[in-house]
Amino acid sequence: MSSAIFPIVVLLPIVAGVLIPVLPFGNRKNMMIYIEGVVLLNAVLAVAMLVCQPEGEFVLFRFTHDLTLSLHLDGMGTVFAAIISVLWPLATLYSFEYMTHERHEKVFFTFYTVTFGITMGIALAEDVVTMYCFYEMLTLVTLPLIMHTLTREAILASRTYLYYSLGGAAFAFIGVVFILIYGTTSNFVPGGVLDLAKIGDRTNLLLLIYVLCFFGFSVKTAMWPFSAWLPKAGVAPTPVTALLHAVAVVKAGAFTVMRVTYYSFGTEFLKGTWAQTAVMIPVIFTIVYGCSRALKETHLKRRLAWSTVSNLSYILFGAVLMSPLGLVGALSHMIFHATMKICSFFCAGAVITKTGREYIHQLDGFGRKMPKVFAAFTVSGLALMGVPGLCGFISKWNLVQAAVESGNPLAYAGVAALLISALLTAIYMLTITIRAFFPGKGFDYSTISDVEDPSWMMLLPLLVFAVAMVVFGLHPEPILSRLGLIAASLR
Amino acid sequence: MEFVQNFPFICIILTLFSGPLSSILDGKKAKWVNTAVITAVGLMNTAVLAFVIRTGAPYVYRMGHFSAPWGNEIRVGVLEAVMAVFFCIIMLLSMLGGTREREQELEPSKANLYYIMVNLLLSSLMALIYTNDLFTAYVFVEINTISACGLIMIKQNGRTIVGATRYMIMSLLGSGMLLLGICFLYGITGHLLMSNIQEAVGKLYASGQYHAPLVVALGLMTVGLAIKSALYPFHGWLPDAYGYSTVSSAAILSSLVSKGYIFLLLKIFYRVIGADIVRDSRELHVLFVFGILGMIIGSVDAIRESNVRRMIAFSSVAQIGYIYMGFGLGTTAGVIASVFHILSHAATKSLLFISASSLTEVSGDSTDFFDLTGAGYRNKVAGVAFTVGSLSMVGIPMFAGFISKLLFAQAAVECHHKLLPAMIALAVSTVLNAVYFMKTVIRIYTPEKKKVLKERQFLTVRATDQKGKTAVLVCFIALNLFLGIFSEPVVRLLQKGLLMFA
Amino acid sequence: MGALLLLPVFLPVVAGTYLLVSLAVEKQKRKAEGGELPEPDEEARKKLHTRVLAVLVVSAVLAVVVSWSGDHSVTLFELMKGIPVYFRVDDIGRLFVTLVSIVWVLVGVYSFVYMEHEGKEQRFFGFYLIVYGVLVALCFSGNLVTLYMFYEIMTLTSMPMVLHNGSHESIMAALKYLFYSMCGAYLGLFAIFFLYRYCDTLTFTAGGTLNPELLGNNTWILLIAVFAALIGFGAKAGMFPLHAWLPTAHPVAPSPASAVLSGVIAKAGVLAIIRVVFYIVGADFIRGTWVQTAWMTLALLTVFMGSMMAFREKIFKKRLAYSTVSQVSYVLFGLSVLSPVGMTGALLHVIFHMFIKCALFLTAGTFIFRTGKTRVEELYGIGKQMPLTVWCYTFASLALIGIPPTSGFVSKWYLAQGALSANVGAFGWAGPAILLVSALLTAGYLLPVTTNGFFPGNKANPEELPRLSEPKGMLIPLAILAALTVLLGIFPNPLISFAGQIASSVL
Repeated sequence: MSSAIFPIVVLLPIVAGVLIPVLPFGNRKNMMIYIEGVVLLNAVLAVAMLVCQPEGEFVLFRFTHDLTLSLHLDGMGTVFAAIISVLWPLATLYSFEYMTHERHEKVFFTFYTVTFGITMGIALAEDVVTMYCFYEMLTLVTLPLIMHTLTREAILASRTYLYYSLGGAAFAFIGVVFILIYGTTSNFVPGGVLDLAKIGDRTNLLLLIYVLCFFGFSVKTAMWPFSAWLPKAGVAPTPVTALLHAVAVVKAGAFTVMRVTYYSFGTEFLKGTWAQTAVMIPVIFTIVYGCSRALKETHLKRRLAWSTVSNLSYILFGAVLMSPLGLVGALSHMIFHATMKICSFFCAGAVITKTGREYIHQLDGFGRKMPKVFAAFTVSGLALMGVPGLCGFISKWNLVQAAVESGNPLAYAGVAALLISALLTAIYMLTITIRAFFPGKGFDYSTISDVEDPSWMMLLPLLVFAVAMVVFGLHPEPILSRLGLIAASLR
Repeated sequence: MEFVQNFPFICIILTLFSGPLSSILDGKKAKWVNTAVITAVGLMNTAVLAFVIRTGAPYVYRMGHFSAPWGNEIRVGVLEAVMAVFFCIIMLLSMLGGTREREQELEPSKANLYYIMVNLLLSSLMALIYTNDLFTAYVFVEINTISACGLIMIKQNGRTIVGATRYMIMSLLGSGMLLLGICFLYGITGHLLMSNIQEAVGKLYASGQYHAPLVVALGLMTVGLAIKSALYPFHGWLPDAYGYSTVSSAAILSSLVSKGYIFLLLKIFYRVIGADIVRDSRELHVLFVFGILGMIIGSVDAIRESNVRRMIAFSSVAQIGYIYMGFGLGTTAGVIASVFHILSHAATKSLLFISASSLTEVSGDSTDFFDLTGAGYRNKVAGVAFTVGSLSMVGIPMFAGFISKLLFAQAAVECHHKLLPAMIALAVSTVLNAVYFMKTVIRIYTPEKKKVLKERQFLTVRATDQKGKTAVLVCFIALNLFLGIFSEPVVRLLQKGLLMFA
Repeated sequence: MGALLLLPVFLPVVAGTYLLVSLAVEKQKRKAEGGELPEPDEEARKKLHTRVLAVLVVSAVLAVVVSWSGDHSVTLFELMKGIPVYFRVDDIGRLFVTLVSIVWVLVGVYSFVYMEHEGKEQRFFGFYLIVYGVLVALCFSGNLVTLYMFYEIMTLTSMPMVLHNGSHESIMAALKYLFYSMCGAYLGLFAIFFLYRYCDTLTFTAGGTLNPELLGNNTWILLIAVFAALIGFGAKAGMFPLHAWLPTAHPVAPSPASAVLSGVIAKAGVLAIIRVVFYIVGADFIRGTWVQTAWMTLALLTVFMGSMMAFREKIFKKRLAYSTVSQVSYVLFGLSVLSPVGMTGALLHVIFHMFIKCALFLTAGTFIFRTGKTRVEELYGIGKQMPLTVWCYTFASLALIGIPPTSGFVSKWYLAQGALSANVGAFGWAGPAILLVSALLTAGYLLPVTTNGFFPGNKANPEELPRLSEPKGMLIPLAILAALTVLLGIFPNPLISFAGQIASSVL
């Protein structure tokens, strides 16, 4: 397999998505088959690509002679591409049932499918400019998805999202330009590309630029103080919140941060400097902040969104430890959190489609009426807490080992923050579970007699994710050893 | 001498005389003449461009048979030719895009007057671009001012007249300062031809004589042209002038007229005073500071504006700020970025004005921000065009604005002391741009309430209803994408041109 | 043979899960038919009890036999590279698993009768079995991560026993229990993270595995971590400042659940502390540091405070809960002095308190079961109604106070000896003094139930106090436990030597 596969997996969903409003489907079923077919085909192609690991690069086009849009596959890209190509078909399947209660399906699926290609582009970007371009495009194509319901709330949310994202990108852009000027190449090279000779005595300036760039990209990961957009964006249809705001978009933010940290600026340059401290403090703060906001939130999806805020900062925490081990922790949490959070969001979505209830206090007794959904929810909650035997524990373990190894007192504080956050996670997730399964004495089940488990299209993804959480939790070694290889290339 | 070398001169003369010609024709015919002239001028300029690229060297064209230092000259290089071609394209598209509005808004009896003004304007622009004589430049600056005033107030309502008056006053102030500057230079050097002045100035500067008058002259000319091109804080005239005039005027004024002055300033820097001397004086720092202030404050004003046309006008203030900021960096890369931004801003701003006017058309001719709700659904092409323009302004990759932002940033990195302010200003202004442009984009795609729709009976315009306009918008979008994606040849051309320019 | 270790773990877990799943399936089926699940009749209950008992006895026998038949070990699987889920029996595990098994079977038998009035028996016994399996796994854990894993699972699976009756109060109490335990567990995890880095291995090794080379100059953070572990695992053991869940959770839980929570699960915290301090960190690391001082202070504070609170408390089960807070901290104090004698005393107190507290809670359960009385002042004359139960209560109380020749005396003697003999400065005399004061308070809060029960004076009308039958199923386990509390005090030598052997192996 040659590098020609790269543009295919990126462009196929984009083209196919754009065609959705144009093609004459006749009925809804044909459209569903077409979309799922395209997504599945692309996922299969992507997986085949990941297995074959084709070498080389593919230049989409050149802005200028040294500024190209080019695609390339490496270890870290593999991880991210694998996450999205496994999750996308499942999420699409799920959204078919979900979207029956929303309008403008075609528009929705157009952008939903296009986003797949764009995200793939971020995963496969060979250099910092390509990544930046896809990153900006991601903002734009996901915007209509947030606006989808076109209510006042949705419009406001989409505006907030846009301002935050574009604003972040504007600062990230500064970093990109500096890499272009001060790097030996704009490509991602493990260990960084900075040309120390060029920098001379301007180290502090470069560090400042790194900090700006870090904050810029981490807007997408909803790091404090830029976290407000994510819970607001929860007004989008649940497949969007689940896939994009738990996985694709926000992870793209984390991914770009890691790329810039490990592959452009380079950890050797950054480690132990004030810049590391400057980025680590807000990361650690966000870990706790996100959880405490989640705790206060009574709206189910928004609570999960705040939880995402916190968990994404776990990933960033791994990234800012700036050691190979930290990268392993960050990447493993990226994979595992994707599974856990998408599962819990899908449960929330199932509740919303079946009953239209959105607040936690309305969920009393649902455990008995929707046992499968809430079983999956409980598993994801336990995994998020980091109960050993489920995947959340594994990534937390790796993150913390990296922190302990670093010997940095601030990182120790980060460990404490992780554990505080775990406790808060336990509180905000388990209160939901307990409410659902143990509504209290004398609860009148007839008030929720219409509640039942959804159809297989929604349950299948849930089952897959729940099983995945257990399997990853009990046998993470295949994944961890792969991640270890990626990290080893940084040494 | 090849025949093609006559083209610049022919362009100026042709446009100059097609003005009076239009005055005796009726509106419709004048329109055709105008279109034909612009097209012809564009083609000729293209030929000139091809010629200078082929020969790889600038040439000087003597007007009449007096040689320097008494005669009048035209000097043609790649940069000039690129600008001329580009200006023609934008002019043509802006004229075609505003046809319908002109027919509605202008009195039929005055239609031909409009074309006189446009022709004169084009002629003055061509002259500003090509001339090698400072005084000729001044003359055409004045012609430019008069015709621009005409373009503003030809749509006769109170606001345009007020706007035109303000414009006139500010512009004349600027012209006066420019003239004073020219007088100073003439007094010191005794020349009016640019190349001669530069030679003389170089000698004077090297010997340290007349240092103060030189600086003053440079300052006067810079400030004069800055006023005319609406650099912050001299932008007070701009929103009214652009916001209320007919759409072609707004597009032409914002994307061409102010750019013509900026180009003249560039010429003064490089060809009259000399880039090194300008760099040594502190004036660039001042330009830099006001450029940055303009970037920020123009955007802030735009955010606070609820009239869409005025909002776009305020955005011009910010974009002019970018250009001056690029000059202020004082490096070649900065100038390249600025010149590229002249192109990309021209392409984007006229697109925005024209698509905004289409959007207001389907919103009951209201330019109020809230009345635009859902306009993107009622006129799909204009909606898409406006979105493209906005994205370009915000600097999204693949669009023209991204490349200029990139060039600015790269230029800034190489400029040690101004790096941080420039970078931060770029980032902040991007955010601010995003705020007002994307707010509008979201607004035009927010569906209007059914009740309001029923009450107000908005028009719905399909792409095929206004074929001309659709074509123009598509061309603009293509131009934008071209500048965004295939920027490299353009940038290389500009670099080459700048080398020839000095 | 090593694989046999897994049998007593998995058998109850699988059986319990089966009970829960079959219950859920049955419910679904009924719902599909449009009806609710009927209350089980006598025959179905019998069947359930027989099954549960069979599973319990078989696994208990297996657990005890396997644990006493040698130092087996088995690796279940590798959680991560170098971190296996690993089971191994050693002396301390052997001791704990035996105790747990005895208590679990006895309390199980008791609850066959008791749970009739609480309802939802199948669910209760499902969790009861699972928790047993998890506890056995906890005792068998061969390394710290395995221990932590089962510690968390124990918290999660024992929680449904607390909220069994489903009232708002009990749900809140269960949440409180859960979050305190989680908080504690995470503090423990904090230490595990650092220990993994600074120790050669997390496999339990008598005397510790700390590697000074790896530690370098990071002593300060490891001390913090160990202290965090003490506080954290101390939460389960009811040590101040994370003790507050005990008095909330106990009164609302069914009495057998309170009995095992207090008697057994609180001891799991003690086990975890023993494992961390004596088998991973090593006593030498914390000896003489601020951690030891703080630990002793907290333990003594809890001893005193728990007794005081119990003394003031009027709700019977809550009083017993406070008593647990106080008594388990005796154990922790014994451990904290880091001397062999102290540790012997601590282990003995673990054993005795486990039996005693179970017996006390079971009596409380019997009172509730027969009379519904929950407050101490309602119990006037209870001795006239249920003399046998109250006698059992009295013996257990005497043991807890520490009156010779009951068992409590032996353990307290060793605790005091340990404190005096260890080189711990002022704590050497302050500790025994506080233990003594607390013993007085213990007498003060336990004995009035007996005295007022038998001699109500004019507080109760004898005619309103009919003799109540005491069901055999409840009385027999109670009597066995009460007898054990006394007998172990009379013949303590085998236990003392066994505990001493453990203590000297790690110190």
